[in-house]
Amino acid sequence: MATAMTFLINYVNANVAYVTTPADYILLDDLTNDYLIWSATLADLLTHEPTTDELNENATIISDSAATTIAKCLLMDYSHYGGYYTRLVKGMGENKQYVFAFRFNGITATEPKLEAWDTSAHTTYLKHVLGAGTPASSMLQAKCTTTSLPGTGDWTSIAGLSNYIRLNDGTDLDPHPLSGAKDLYCNLKIKIPVAYATPAAETFVLTVRYTYL
Amino acid sequence: MNQIPLFNIFFNDGSNYQGGTLEQPKWLDIPDKPIRSIFYSLPLGDFLTLIGYEKYYHFVEVCKDLNGDRSGQVQLEFAYLIGKKGNDYRIYKISLRTGQIQIIDTDKDNEMIKQLNPIGWKKGI
Repeated sequence: MATAMTFLINYVNANVAYVTTPADYILLDDLTNDYLIWSATLADLLTHEPTTDELNENATIISDSAATTIAKCLLMDYSHYGGYYTRLVKGMGENKQYVFAFRFNGITATEPKLEAWDTSAHTTYLKHVLGAGTPASSMLQAKCTTTSLPGTGDWTSIAGLSNYIRLNDGTDLDPHPLSGAKDLYCNLKIKIPVAYATPAAETFVLTVRYTYL
Repeated sequence: MNQIPLFNIFFNDGSNYQGGTLEQPKWLDIPDKPIRSIFYSLPLGDFLTLIGYEKYYHFVEVCKDLNGDRSGQVQLEFAYLIGKKGNDYRIYKISLRTGQIQIIDTDKDNEMIKQLNPIGWKKGI
């Protein structure tokens, strides 16, 4: 069997790994209809899919005095498990280890990577949130947390093919391809620069690039 | 209709092994004995033959989007077929979107070669 990957989010306690407390995680098994919402104040546990008006009313305000980290990431759960459409991702952007989980069921030839693109074509990164063509300026910051906490400073700005994170804590000099089934973790945040001149409601595509033999 | 195997391997001892598909290559299932040649099926219907290398490697690179209009689908990006001879490596990077093949002649210091999981190397002659 070729190695496969599933994606989960922690919605209870970002201090516990999936292997010890699987009930704290939601599997995104309907990736076509589920999506992540980045918002300042949108409520957890909504009993309906948020409308465009609700998304706008709860959007993040760009500050003219300090960089702003978007306060919340919520899973929009189309299957509304438990009757709820929105589930707050616990620990997003904080110094927490077990937030976004990637379950691999086997060996890989190279270390899996997390990338961000404008669209599923994986060819451009021109949106403001991804640095408007300059990957190092991407507002989307990521940190591999498979073996350690992410820390509180700036993480890696990800966009395109050059700016990504490795998901198994490897480096160019010491890569960590998977030698068997393993759960990998990362944390994410969106940090808007101070007085950023172009407000926008944008979507972007997160993708995991991995290999099998 | 029978599907053409992704690769057909002929060993020094005269036996052979047929690989699977791009989705299930079965590279790790190759018997541990010296490979004489590999006949590899390319996306546009042609074949590539590798022969005379000391070691061989093959893997498939995919992307899985977590959101967007192709979310959840495993998207085939590239297949890599590599032959090693001495300090030299030849990498065939095959685009599974366009069928284009890039040939990269390199050495052990190549970034991609250094990234590879050693378990995937298969011995040649």
